[in-house]
Amino acid sequence: MHDLLLIAIITALLALDDRAGWQSLAGEPVFSSLFVGLAFGHVGAALRCGVALQAVWLSIGAARGSRRPNVLVGGVVGAGATCLSLHKTGDPREPLVIAAAVFCGLVAGEAAQWAEARAGVAREKWLERFRLPQDANVASRNLALYTIGSAAYIALVSALVSAVALMLSLPLADLIIDRAGEAASGLSAWAGALPAFAVATIAHAFTTRALGRTAALGFLLAVVVAWLL
Amino acid sequence: MAPVTGKLTRGDLNRVFARALFIQAAMHRRGMQSLGMLSALDAGAERVTNDPAALLARHADHFNTNPNMAPMVIGGVLRIEEEGGRGGPASVSRFKQACASALAAAGDVFFAGGLKPIALTLATLFAIYRFFPGLVAVFVLYNAALITVRYRGLSFGYARGWGLIEAFSSPRVQRALVLVRTGAACAGGLLAGVIVTGAFQQGTRAFIATVLVAALAWFAARRGVPASRLALALFPVAWIVGMLLH
Repeated sequence: MHDLLLIAIITALLALDDRAGWQSLAGEPVFSSLFVGLAFGHVGAALRCGVALQAVWLSIGAARGSRRPNVLVGGVVGAGATCLSLHKTGDPREPLVIAAAVFCGLVAGEAAQWAEARAGVAREKWLERFRLPQDANVASRNLALYTIGSAAYIALVSALVSAVALMLSLPLADLIIDRAGEAASGLSAWAGALPAFAVATIAHAFTTRALGRTAALGFLLAVVVAWLL
Repeated sequence: MAPVTGKLTRGDLNRVFARALFIQAAMHRRGMQSLGMLSALDAGAERVTNDPAALLARHADHFNTNPNMAPMVIGGVLRIEEEGGRGGPASVSRFKQACASALAAAGDVFFAGGLKPIALTLATLFAIYRFFPGLVAVFVLYNAALITVRYRGLSFGYARGWGLIEAFSSPRVQRALVLVRTGAACAGGLLAGVIVTGAFQQGTRAFIATVLVAALAWFAARRGVPASRLALALFPVAWIVGMLLH
């Protein structure tokens, strides 16, 4: 219960920034996993989970019109499941635990996107009912009320969704870890190969000749440095 | 920073800026950022006009732009309202909509297509190597850039008013957009290189898996298949392959 509350508070704060505030990147999995890792211990494992999720959800270009999963909830739930599973089970197979948690994070991101879209309907209707009062002072007060109310609603919904998602994710992660058996290496390899999604996103995003050439230069630089080291 | 010339003091602009930070908070489909825009304008309305209610009523319509560029439009609107709507070729509403559209496009290219990918790819790179100072540096620098663009944008918009339209169509803006996209491509290439070489160092099996997944994800991206759905679909495949190879 204490863990779920902590996750809900972390998500609420990050949602205020990511959905209602200035979008500082704190809600992206690579950073949110770091915060969750610091709160629950197991920073390294949480960060590995965050890297895998970030690679899948790496966004380059405007998201206008496209439907992106809820990366905030997904990242927090994935990292939370990693830390709590490692903490409770003490399973020495860390890559397998991370793979199970990444799977939970991906599912949570999809489910949270769906749930928040449904929950957002009530907020939309409330905001659409706003009428600007004739009196400037009343208008000022109402604007503050609607802005704060809307932000609080976003934070509350995100917090609830993440707490419920983590509550369901923990038994799911335990189940995967228990049943993996001989498939453990395959699942670990799955999580290990997820950064390849970032490679695909980068290759897909920078298709013009000039940008492709620059990306290739960066790629070669990384290869040469790795070879030299 | 250049001194503020006009009815709004630096303190007033700070209040407008603080409210503009939460322009997305009351975002909704019909008016988009209209409530956020009104809330920010409200912070400076009493200073620039004798009838703040009328000012707010003029801007209660649909408004949508890149949130990082919105303060620039807000600054411009406040300056034009301060001048009583004079000195321009069209109404202040037309100015607002024209700026919003142009800045939405420029802002998306600069932030979503450049600065954010640079920050995220570098952060991922540092996270792979567990280099925490690097992660913190990326976070601090990205937010410093964000806050600077928003704050200076507000001051710039308020200083220029109608002149804002000419300012963002200048070649310097275009050069900045090209530069940030080039930086994003370089950082992206660097991250791709690190991932591929990392897989190579782990062994042939990991390298082949990475190349196969990357190729599959690339084809999926071309066909518009969401990456997370493909990743989830690969989970049972990995389970079966793991059992077969054991």
